[in-house]
Amino acid sequence: MPNDILSMVNESGGLNAKVFSLVRLKLLASLAALGPDGATYRELRAALDINDGVLFANLNVLKEMGYLASGKITSEGKELELYTITTEGQDEWKRTRTWLCRFLHCGA
Amino acid sequence: MIAFFRELDFHFNIGAFDDRLIAQKLVCLLELRGIDLGYPCSVYVRGPYSPDLTLDLYAFTREFETLETSSRLNPTEKEAAGELGRIFGLKPVLLEVGATYGYYAIRQECDPLEALRQVKRLKPFYSEAQIALGISKAKEFLFQPTKRDRETLKKETGIWQRASLQSLEH
Repeated sequence: MPNDILSMVNESGGLNAKVFSLVRLKLLASLAALGPDGATYRELRAALDINDGVLFANLNVLKEMGYLASGKITSEGKELELYTITTEGQDEWKRTRTWLCRFLHCGA
Repeated sequence: MIAFFRELDFHFNIGAFDDRLIAQKLVCLLELRGIDLGYPCSVYVRGPYSPDLTLDLYAFTREFETLETSSRLNPTEKEAAGELGRIFGLKPVLLEVGATYGYYAIRQECDPLEALRQVKRLKPFYSEAQIALGISKAKEFLFQPTKRDRETLKKETGIWQRASLQSLEH
């Protein structure tokens, strides 16, 4: 593990800076834990307490980056939108998480 | 777990969202009832949930879908499965509300009002009636009245029972 802050900070070069917003980190972390099962739009909105506009916009950004996929499912006769994390999304989340852990440990 | 699916006559289909939801909530309710299935649940955006179960459902899809297992349930497990099927009837909404309420009441040791508040926070898209019914099912399945509970209830309702018997005499 590098023992100086500069080399630690420079390790962030391989990360996607667009992931670093609280909402996107919350979404990636939540969906990474569910794997191929994913979560519906209404579950994400309720559990993460994010308003419609912000949630929809950020889900779309993550989809455009190839980190999330979405599709229609039917539950109890209702059509819902299901979001799942892609392999690229899992990889990016893993990289981000690893770097954050190292960074925060260093900061502490 | 497959033996429970078989006992419940639950024909699991990995492609059906509701079936994956039912599987998750069945496991959670059985674990809350004290049956160790090896799939501990924690709270995720979907409520009480076991990522390990998801991994196994996808890794052993054929076995889960064909209910292929050599395991047999013991009498206690059989009784729990029977009650689970009778009380919830494999209905996704009731299972989801019931498992969420049970998780907060038992695992997080919340009082009934706080557990209800958490259910409403995580599942605001369900109606008051669905939530009330799911919670009542959870209580029926998870909270077995003790001898003391029965005696207290008898004492509380005794006065009404006597009054109603008296009114029948007139």
